[in-house]
Amino acid sequence: MNHLKLPPHLNRRQVIQLLGMSGMGYLLGSCSDEFTARVGELSEPLNQSFGELLVKPQKLIPEFPKSAIDPKALLLNTYDITPKIDPDEYRLTIDGEVKFPMQLNLKALTQLPQTSIIMQHVCVEGWAAIVQWGGFRLRDLATMVQPKASARYVLFESADKYTESWDLASALHPQTLLANRLNGQPLPAENGAPLRLATPIKLGYKLSKWVTKVTFASQIPKGGKGYWEEQGYEWFGGI
Amino acid sequence: MNKQPRKSPPVPSQPNFVKILHCLIIISLFIMIGSGLQIYNATPVFGGKSGWSFPQWVTLGGWLAGGRSWHFTTMWVFALTLLIYGIYILLTQRWKRKFFSEQDLKALQVGKNPKRRIYSWHRLIYTGIIPVLILAIFSGLAMYKPAQFHWLSGLFINWQTLRTIHFLTVPISLLFVLVHTIMGIRAGGLRLTRSMFQP
Repeated sequence: MNHLKLPPHLNRRQVIQLLGMSGMGYLLGSCSDEFTARVGELSEPLNQSFGELLVKPQKLIPEFPKSAIDPKALLLNTYDITPKIDPDEYRLTIDGEVKFPMQLNLKALTQLPQTSIIMQHVCVEGWAAIVQWGGFRLRDLATMVQPKASARYVLFESADKYTESWDLASALHPQTLLANRLNGQPLPAENGAPLRLATPIKLGYKLSKWVTKVTFASQIPKGGKGYWEEQGYEWFGGI
Repeated sequence: MNKQPRKSPPVPSQPNFVKILHCLIIISLFIMIGSGLQIYNATPVFGGKSGWSFPQWVTLGGWLAGGRSWHFTTMWVFALTLLIYGIYILLTQRWKRKFFSEQDLKALQVGKNPKRRIYSWHRLIYTGIIPVLILAIFSGLAMYKPAQFHWLSGLFINWQTLRTIHFLTVPISLLFVLVHTIMGIRAGGLRLTRSMFQP
């Protein structure tokens, strides 16, 4: 029955165990980037559905007290440089699947109802900071431009060429802002002035700084998931 | 259990179902730890950006996004295995027989039989890891969705405390793996260990 010549001190079961262990070792040892990416793709649809399930427009995330704000905890992360933006030249373009595409200057944008939120800003890197962002709701901007029924995503472009793409529900969440103030002060350039995204329901890399263009879209163009998402971060990024 | 002569105690036997779950927990635990340490290194829990980080060889995923891919995929295997095991021990009443009990407590307090005492220690230790694993899941969930599950994150006081608690489940689990292995052998010899792994 036993045609395999096994070392006399190993029985069949021990061989099976050794094979199992070496197989595991091989699996973990050869975790190439490609294989890791596959693993991520395996769970992303499930994790995305889970994330989408939790986002409800009527469900507001509780705010933190003013005393909890910790300005030093907010670290500066940028993939490239802080772009120089002339406030007089600055225009925010809103286009795509909307009835009334427009270009607005800063003066026009300050006409939108201003609000603020004290929230926890959570970075994908594991740090978090409680900050107050002030600005206007993205949904108020949407009311002006009237997205068509075909709009399912919102794409953001920034002055530093950073790109992002969001699901419509998160973009229209009442706590999602285009912010121009930080902790009660005008937004500093390195934090994204004149306009950046802020919301308590997404990770920091979704919160583009120096936003110059908001595009409502029926689908995400190939390669346009976002700067970090194209390199492996999960697209939904909901928290 | 079969009645056998006193000299040779019954060969311990575990249901195959339990062996499979046990293996799944071991594999998923180590993937969670390796990928978790990868995530840890992006901003060390202790000392922040300038804090000490783990050497690359103990981490899984290559970089932060890869670590997150492994972590947020394997979390389902880890959590569902524990959940299925929980349902299983409830339905089979295994929780009454196989976990630390009042008799074990008595054995540890006043028992004179050293073998019985070791066995009770063994049961105490593997019973004790279960709340730690559940804590790992809930503290992880609180960090994964801190806004949507703000009520859960709120229980952990603040972000740093939450991260610290979630991280502490790593050394506790690793220590457990070591002690559990030793205690298993001390309580039932390699025969007991084998009974949990042999197909």
